[in-house]
Amino acid sequence: MAHSIGNGSPPGLFSQLTRRQLVQNGLLGPGALAVGSLGLPRAARALDEINFWATGTLDIGDDGWRTFAYDSGVKVEFTDNGNDPGPVVAKLAAGNANDIYDVAGLQGGSEKELARRGLIAPWDISQIQNYASVWQWAKDIPYLTHDGKVYGIPTVINADSIIAIRDKAGSVDSYGVIFDPKLKGKTAMEDAWINSVIFTAIYLKNSENAKIAEPGNLTADELGLVMEFLIKHKRDRQFRTFWNGWEQGLQLLANQEVWVMTGWEPIVYAARMRGVDCYYAVPREGYEGWANNTILLKSAVVRGRTKAAHQLVNALFSGFYGCKLGLLRGYVVPTDNNVAYATAHANAFDPAGVRKLADHVKQKFAGKIYWQNTRPDNFQLYETWWQRLRNA
Amino acid sequence: MPHEPGLGESVGARWRPAGFLLALPSLAVFVGVGFIPLALIATWSFWSFDPDTYWIKPAWSFASYAALLDNGRATVFLRTAGLAALTATASTLLAVPAAAVVGLLSGPRRAALLLALFTIPFFTSGLVRAFAWRLVLGRQGVINNALMSLGIVETPVEWFLFSDFAVLLGMVAAYLPFAIIPIVLAFARIEHSVIRASQDLGAGFWTLLATIVLPLVLPGIVAGFLFVFVVAVGTSMEVQLLGGAGASSISIMINDVLRVVNFPLAFAIATVVITLLTVLIIIANRALRLSRLFESLGI
Repeated sequence: MAHSIGNGSPPGLFSQLTRRQLVQNGLLGPGALAVGSLGLPRAARALDEINFWATGTLDIGDDGWRTFAYDSGVKVEFTDNGNDPGPVVAKLAAGNANDIYDVAGLQGGSEKELARRGLIAPWDISQIQNYASVWQWAKDIPYLTHDGKVYGIPTVINADSIIAIRDKAGSVDSYGVIFDPKLKGKTAMEDAWINSVIFTAIYLKNSENAKIAEPGNLTADELGLVMEFLIKHKRDRQFRTFWNGWEQGLQLLANQEVWVMTGWEPIVYAARMRGVDCYYAVPREGYEGWANNTILLKSAVVRGRTKAAHQLVNALFSGFYGCKLGLLRGYVVPTDNNVAYATAHANAFDPAGVRKLADHVKQKFAGKIYWQNTRPDNFQLYETWWQRLRNA
Repeated sequence: MPHEPGLGESVGARWRPAGFLLALPSLAVFVGVGFIPLALIATWSFWSFDPDTYWIKPAWSFASYAALLDNGRATVFLRTAGLAALTATASTLLAVPAAAVVGLLSGPRRAALLLALFTIPFFTSGLVRAFAWRLVLGRQGVINNALMSLGIVETPVEWFLFSDFAVLLGMVAAYLPFAIIPIVLAFARIEHSVIRASQDLGAGFWTLLATIVLPLVLPGIVAGFLFVFVVAVGTSMEVQLLGGAGASSISIMINDVLRVVNFPLAFAIATVVITLLTVLIIIANRALRLSRLFESLGI
């Protein structure tokens, strides 16, 4: 149920509109939200402001952030960080990102390195009440902690595998299809070692019995094995191309340049809308799980924004954000608060849809998962091998 | 014929201190925005990556330059230079007749219109331009569909897209205007009286072309070639969008290296590219006096 404007407010325009509707429609601007001294509810008092520098897919748009600000008391200035963890880490280490932003969101794996270098600060979980509602297996992602402290908060979570065109590729249940000579020139992988190396390692470990301990964090020998395998197949012209970014991946499928490719599930939905009968395969070797984690930048602590940053993260798990993000982009915030919120606000969100999305992701994680790691121990070696692959 | 000083030269001779003061802001911008960052990049390329700070430390080393020879990085330099040279050559060959029409045979209004038409590709982003080629050259693209419907081929031609051919086509289409504009300038410098005089003296078309026109437009041709070459060396979009699996270029290599915060190597790659391009431009200027292009403008 939506809130009404103020308790006991006189009937009239306000009585017919919910406060949320007013905020969403911009009728209550920042000025209205800042009148804390008038004894209005907490959310209508002066707002803390947080510069949130994260993957574009975490953006819920101006309307969404207005409501978010109203509910949480934190006004979010959202800036897309481009999603590529490499430049994000570089800007934190050598650029001015720490001077500008308070909280960042990026694919998991680099928390340990950033924490060691004093670029990010640990979260105080006791200040994030909604963290208790986060699904346990999300909290157990190995890259979130360093020295027993939590540095990464898993904010969006999913698992990736293979996209296949039904009438061309048939029934696909293994990454082996990407390397199948019968599909020579009809397959593609992402132009990023962060994903393509782990997919190949998952395949080699599970279907070719390669001695690989952790596909997300390969030793030098394991990496050599995986990369030689990829280089061989590239030389055999197995891959039509390596793709970069959402639209390129979608175009490859939509125009049937490739029949199977490793990729992101939302591409499947978009390709279907363009009339391509494709599906997201359930690989017997397991999924590549990933989490987009929220990290607290050190400078936010220095600037005295720690409390507001915790308020922000707490609100990310309060339900509204998860519902909105699911509606906008089909991504899942790992908490059951989303379903509870949708149920309580059935006029704004479809509770069944929210539950279906959550169950879908939960089901993926019920099986075998290997976590994506954007900063494996040998990360610079990954780049040199990727260069060799490029030149093969 | 005695050399006639340009406007800047004659004014500069009389008002040298004032001229210097006038140039000071531009000089400051050049030094501050151009030279100092480049000098820093060159210096830092000899420093070492510091894993403790994720940045660099002043431990002098040639390691980054040695790394340029490993893992096929030198091949990327050669491939990028080769592709840029091919692009620049093709663009220049296409630009010369186009520029002749604009600069020599058209009146001012038509020339302005034609030049504006050549700049149309720049109205949209390079990314969109390159992406559009995928829709033209792909298996279900315009060209393959036409060829199949005409019965010329039975199955789509695979190498139209995700190949060196596609990259070259995309780059020529994108950077052709860079070649046309300096060549138009060069054609515009040719006095019609010189052409009429040579014709009066009995020069035929080929003699006129070889002895009058080409020598006069050669600096423009070289400048056009260099403009395209320099831009093509620095691009990555066409290679990424139209090239085959894992296709590389110098820019892509720099991006890859920055992803793993190997700053000294990225700086070393940039330093080598800037140095080679600077040397190339100096040699071209010395050999062909590119500055002649600007003489008629009084610069």
